[in-house]
Amino acid sequence: MTMKKFINDPDNLTTELLEGYCAAFPDRVKLVSEKIVLRAEPKDNSKVALVTLGGAGHEPALSGFVGPGMLDASVVGDIFAAPGPPKVIEALRLHHRDVGVLFVVLNHAGDILSAKAAMQMAEKEGLNVRMLITHEDIAPGADAPAEDRRGLVGCLPLYKVAGAAAEAGKTLDEVYDIANRFNENMATLAVALKPATHPQSGQEIFTLADDEMEIGMGQHGEAGTGHSKMLSADETAEKMFTQLLAAVNAGSDDQILVILNGAGATTQMELFIVFRKLKQLAVEKRINIVHAKVGEYLTVQEMAGFQMFVAKLDDELLQMLKAPSKAPYWVVT
Amino acid sequence: MPDRIDYDIMVRMLSAVVRRIREAKDTLSTLDAATGDGDHGTAMCKIAYAIAQHLDGNSNDDLQSLLSTIGWSIMGTDSGSAGPLYGSWFLGLSESCANSDDFDTTGFAVMIEHSLSNLRNYTNAQPGGKTMIDALCPAIDAVRKAADEQKSLEDTLISAANAAENGAQQTKNMQASFGRAKNIGERSIGHVDPGAASMSIIFSGLKEGFIDG
Repeated sequence: MTMKKFINDPDNLTTELLEGYCAAFPDRVKLVSEKIVLRAEPKDNSKVALVTLGGAGHEPALSGFVGPGMLDASVVGDIFAAPGPPKVIEALRLHHRDVGVLFVVLNHAGDILSAKAAMQMAEKEGLNVRMLITHEDIAPGADAPAEDRRGLVGCLPLYKVAGAAAEAGKTLDEVYDIANRFNENMATLAVALKPATHPQSGQEIFTLADDEMEIGMGQHGEAGTGHSKMLSADETAEKMFTQLLAAVNAGSDDQILVILNGAGATTQMELFIVFRKLKQLAVEKRINIVHAKVGEYLTVQEMAGFQMFVAKLDDELLQMLKAPSKAPYWVVT
Repeated sequence: MPDRIDYDIMVRMLSAVVRRIREAKDTLSTLDAATGDGDHGTAMCKIAYAIAQHLDGNSNDDLQSLLSTIGWSIMGTDSGSAGPLYGSWFLGLSESCANSDDFDTTGFAVMIEHSLSNLRNYTNAQPGGKTMIDALCPAIDAVRKAADEQKSLEDTLISAANAAENGAQQTKNMQASFGRAKNIGERSIGHVDPGAASMSIIFSGLKEGFIDG
């Protein structure tokens, strides 16, 4: 089947989508150097800056989370592909300040390579930058080595927590420690039902039989661990939620954040039906869902499926989550 | 032919590397199209340009700054994973030149071994994983063996280029377990890995530049 998407020249997708995004929120974000999304009003130099990088095609992530209370900059690559080190080091230089920069990177091979190269260059130039890698995917097993676990939707609430800590005037080490505490208490599992089409090649990024689903699939169709026959919403919810709660070691009286992130073609109806079951299970286990988000935040084109995210929160992390934000896709007033 | 590598000879060797990469542009892209996104030829040409920029004249420089300048310059190219990998490889080569500007076979062996250890900051890919490592490791082994046997640099570079070429050819039968081609699993079998191919082209260029001048 031929690809049906509202696009123009496939080579210009990233530029065009970023131009459109920044034009839609002109009071909050602006585009510089073609691939770097910045806040319209820069944060004061006395506060720690927050920079991230990642491929395009996952909208509104990652640039949708640039804004007061969250990111200072997102460096965008091409569709599903990391930006090269030159743009990354450019963004780090732009945010150079004595109090430093927290640089958040999702664990994907290309992102890590680019980030490490930029970090090596930053060190040579004497920039004050600390890098934090997210790797909360538990598909390979919650105990698998960090380098084998991918960074999925968990980067978004981590930007929120780190962003609030930075706005509060904390030092780079303090911001890092808070973000890292969140990082070490979060877990995600993804489930896929139908593939996405790569908008440049027109090819489907993986295949799944009509009556099958796959738990553990990555953001770009990377193979997961659990090919199975289709399960109902409740069965899927229970299977995934149980693993996630175990991964973050959440039990009676713990407070958790839950995010159900639609991959692009799964309806809000389905996400609510899944969330209903999560709530019931949490009540049974006396776990408090103190904060929840159900919607599309980090998508994979028109892939059907979702990412289920759980983080165990202490009071400080909860406070950071509830702090104000004006990022276009995570507004807290 | 002198049995040593100094600044001028290294410039000659790297000029040949640049030439060889440019000649192989289409071949590398075709290989990459089979298992990746088809841009490795273009990426390597950006790297060749970054090398070439630093090869004209200015021989007041020492060998270490030549290699490290090239490394940083490659690091700053927008060339996918090739930039950071080859950039760190060159930075690794430069590390061993701190106290010397003139290398015999043993010195070259130390230099080339450093290149791998610096690359290790970026990749854990092991031999057999269908990556550039499958050309690099056999070449390093060949250089080390030649150094231990006190071979001439000419013989050493010939063995290294042959070992890298063999290593690259052997990736054809491997299933990728590192890098981007990992995601296509068994379908990666039957194609030479483009990263291994570009690494072997570099060794072949080093050899040619040394021998032919």
